[in-house]
Amino acid sequence: MTSSDANQRWSESTSTLGDRSEYKKVWNLQSQDPDVASLAVAGHMDEAKLELTAQSFIGTLRETVGLGPNDVVLEIGCGIARVGKPLSKECLHWFGADISGGMLAHAAARLSERPNTTLVELATVGLQEFPRDAFDLVYCTIVFMHLFEWDRYRYVEEAFRVLRPGGRCYFDNFPLDSEHGWKVFTEGARYPVDRRPAHISMASTREELGAYLRKAGFEDVRVRDLPNQLIAATGRKPG
Amino acid sequence: MNPKPEEPNPRAAALQAELDQVKRREAEFRANMVQEFLDRGERNTYLHTLREERVALIKRGQEASADIEYLVRKLEAEGERRAAVEAQLGGLWDSWSWKLTAPLRIVARLFSRGAAAGAPAGAEVEGAVFTYYLHTSPFRIYHEDAFTLRGWAFPEDGRQVTSVRAVVDARTFVGRHGLEEPEVIARYGAQPANPRPGFEIRFETPPGRHRLSLEAQLEGSEWRWIMRTSIWCEPKGP
Repeated sequence: MTSSDANQRWSESTSTLGDRSEYKKVWNLQSQDPDVASLAVAGHMDEAKLELTAQSFIGTLRETVGLGPNDVVLEIGCGIARVGKPLSKECLHWFGADISGGMLAHAAARLSERPNTTLVELATVGLQEFPRDAFDLVYCTIVFMHLFEWDRYRYVEEAFRVLRPGGRCYFDNFPLDSEHGWKVFTEGARYPVDRRPAHISMASTREELGAYLRKAGFEDVRVRDLPNQLIAATGRKPG
Repeated sequence: MNPKPEEPNPRAAALQAELDQVKRREAEFRANMVQEFLDRGERNTYLHTLREERVALIKRGQEASADIEYLVRKLEAEGERRAAVEAQLGGLWDSWSWKLTAPLRIVARLFSRGAAAGAPAGAEVEGAVFTYYLHTSPFRIYHEDAFTLRGWAFPEDGRQVTSVRAVVDARTFVGRHGLEEPEVIARYGAQPANPRPGFEIRFETPPGRHRLSLEAQLEGSEWRWIMRTSIWCEPKGP
């Protein structure tokens, strides 16, 4: 599929803002073709670029919360397993959770060679499919911009529950006050009021992310500005 | 004297390796625990599906009961109507004008008998004893414009079925017969006259109450009915 065709099909697959809470519907619609799915979650269809950005993110994880070969890891909103595919080589077991079964079908195809991976379709917002005190690391990247604030916090609370005592968490989003953040914001502002798409990216503030983690019970909470113009909140479950 | 920092301590290294092994086993245990938890969740999902199916079946049963109740009420209403009509007829037969016009009705009957002779479907058909089964039950409220009755039948006197038809009031719908029914033969044994006892008849079901008669022609001559019933056809819903 050409880039132009994929962009056209992607724009046709988007839902309206009123459907923003219907995450399963919104993201299943955008996952009907591997190229369109890749475009929806990563903004491009180039496998080499997917690998490059994933490696860059793994570097960020290593620097912020650490990553070890014995880690049992959970990614919230794993999409097509852009990060999970390379990250699974560096941990004991990688679990990828996503609300879109369509996205997970593409992820499964990409992970066919990785036995230490498990994909789980979430029934709704939250991690009710997972037991408590199970993971060493829970992370969520390039997802919060597509969620309402209440749902962002829901995932933070749930991450606290499923992490083992001493487990680490990582959540990121783009801030409004970066060059990139303002660009995304102004692009969104150009949509006619009645034609804003459901997945439209919405910023977070540093205070917001820090508050989520502290309110959920994490300690050693830090909010960092990353070189790629994202902000990331990290914390540790007491114990 | 303390060892130099760059010199490895064999005991500390061994302990560290042992600790790493313990940490790995503990992590493996947690990964397996998550996997088992997920598997159990899937089983719960299956149970949930079964429960939902059970609820749906109960609902269908209730709907069927409602249909039966509706039919019974219709039957009761029809019974009352019939009693009223019979009472009216009784009054009519006793009347002076009915007796006066008797000769005219005799002449009319003579003419109508002559017309009916060429229309066997309208003629009175007698029943016979058939072994039969209907795959598509005619006992229902009909909501579509037409219905296909499928089944099998053979007369117990061993005669050959040479045609089948459904008579709905005065309208005749000829069906296909001689269709394979291997399970019937396996169960009832070879039927020399009717080796393929299956049939299929499509008939129209206009709104209203009708008399349905399923009939078979035996050895190319007389027609015998297999089963008869009243049917009710309702217009399609919105």
